[in-house]
Amino acid sequence: MSEVAISVRGLRKAYGENEAVAGVDFEVSAGEVFGFLGPNGAGKTTTIEILEGYRERSGGEVSVLGVDPGTPTRAWRERVGLVLQECELDPLWTVREAVSLFARFYSRPREVEETIDLVGLGEKRDARIGSLSGGQKRRADVALGIVGDPDLIFLDEPTTGFDPGARREAWNMIEGLKALGKTVFLTTHYMDEAQHLADRVAILRSGRIVAQGSTEEIAGAIGRSTVIAFELDGDLTIEEVRSTLGADVARVGDQVEAQSTDPQRDLYRLLTLAQRRDAELRGLEVRRPNLEDVFLELTREGS
Amino acid sequence: MSDRGIVLAQARMAILVALRTPRTIIFTIAFPVVLLVLFNSIFTSSSETTTLPSDVKIGAASYFTAGIIAYAAALSTFTTLAVSLTTQRENGQLKRYRGTPMPPWTFIAGQIVRAEAQALAMAAILLAIGGVAYGVPVPASTFPAFLLYLLLGTATLCSLGIALSSFTPTPDAASTVAPFSIVILSFISGVWIPVDQLPQWLEAVGKLFPLYHLALGLQTTLAPGTVGSGLELGNVAALAIWALIGIRIATRRFKWEPQAAAA
Repeated sequence: MSEVAISVRGLRKAYGENEAVAGVDFEVSAGEVFGFLGPNGAGKTTTIEILEGYRERSGGEVSVLGVDPGTPTRAWRERVGLVLQECELDPLWTVREAVSLFARFYSRPREVEETIDLVGLGEKRDARIGSLSGGQKRRADVALGIVGDPDLIFLDEPTTGFDPGARREAWNMIEGLKALGKTVFLTTHYMDEAQHLADRVAILRSGRIVAQGSTEEIAGAIGRSTVIAFELDGDLTIEEVRSTLGADVARVGDQVEAQSTDPQRDLYRLLTLAQRRDAELRGLEVRRPNLEDVFLELTREGS
Repeated sequence: MSDRGIVLAQARMAILVALRTPRTIIFTIAFPVVLLVLFNSIFTSSSETTTLPSDVKIGAASYFTAGIIAYAAALSTFTTLAVSLTTQRENGQLKRYRGTPMPPWTFIAGQIVRAEAQALAMAAILLAIGGVAYGVPVPASTFPAFLLYLLLGTATLCSLGIALSSFTPTPDAASTVAPFSIVILSFISGVWIPVDQLPQWLEAVGKLFPLYHLALGLQTTLAPGTVGSGLELGNVAALAIWALIGIRIATRRFKWEPQAAAA
């Protein structure tokens, strides 16, 4: 699908002198999972709250499902599901009571029991929300966000504080939403999560987007390549490695890291060198560019 | 789903929450009943009477029963709304509602339905205890006015409770300010001490606030000696003015987003 779900052009938001969002452009296609990333204070929350219809913008054009979220209508709210960041549910409600209440707000809601099953709270449907674990509470939040059967779902840091098992289950659930054809707008501080779930990401820094695209595209755009890392052995020197590979080679702690645009060729050369010099390359590993490295590089202070 | 359905669903959820909160049951339901029994046991004998500002004599049991109905009504509406709205705003629940197609008024209406239901149920319970245990009569001729005072008074106190929630930054603040102000006002509004025993200036202060007029209205309409409907323009006007003040503040200041975090 190439239909546009979210379109943002020149978005700005100023608080007095301070411009929290300083000209942001991106598009989200219908049916994709879009990761919106950035360090704290980059303007993520401000942007997402403008898209959700909570906040007015200072400038730019925004369209969410064809509607300006600056003037949210009831019909538009029917199609947009929100899972907010800081939002406790009444601990005295049961899961079923909460989901049933929210189902009433929509003209064509998803079936309540089915929604509870979809987020994996089937065994807890009659439990009070106050008795749930952190991960289960978050899943209840998600149930409220999707009970209206929205076309577009905003998930603001949906797995913060989860243990690895709960995170994996949440990922499965989000993949399930994508399989249902929903568009998902995801913010997260976990780069592995974004890399795993998102079709495309945008990285925000100081109110501007510094990169967007798939992980591979972004890595390529900033010249990030595969890294070959190992420890030097014997009398093998870093200069020899550098001249053999003809690449950027640097010492990082105990290891030597070589940037590689052609890992197969460079590994062959490196192993040949090691064999000739009878050196053992302890801890040899090949790292594909990952989103975390790209993110850290792009959002580093002063870069 | 109809909007009326949403109002009733919100009211039902609010009632469930109230019934699952021991503090609510103890302070807003059990406490007024205990007070009614205590006051009628300690301070009154069946022969004692007091004189209302309208010069009507009323038995002490009727006087305290009506006063404590006003007190219970204030707890059910003013106090409970201020606390629960502040709590729901600060934990982000109100913000979440705003992100759904739910019309905002349906939520407020649901909370008011809960408050009114609780206030009317409390009035019925207290009247029943008063009648059965202390022989408090309910005069038929003034009962319509009694109900009217109860409805107008609780509506006023609802609007003021909602208005107060816009000033209290945290649930702690709300659950301190709201009950405290009702306790203080109860002393000078003829709820716990007949107003003819108060120094004049203190009664004058009490008169400025709505609880005085609600208590006086209920006492007048529960006094068998009252002639006519029992409605007095002064009380009705005072309650109506406070209702308008409450509505004006509430509609102007009510916030759906957490305030403590934003500050």
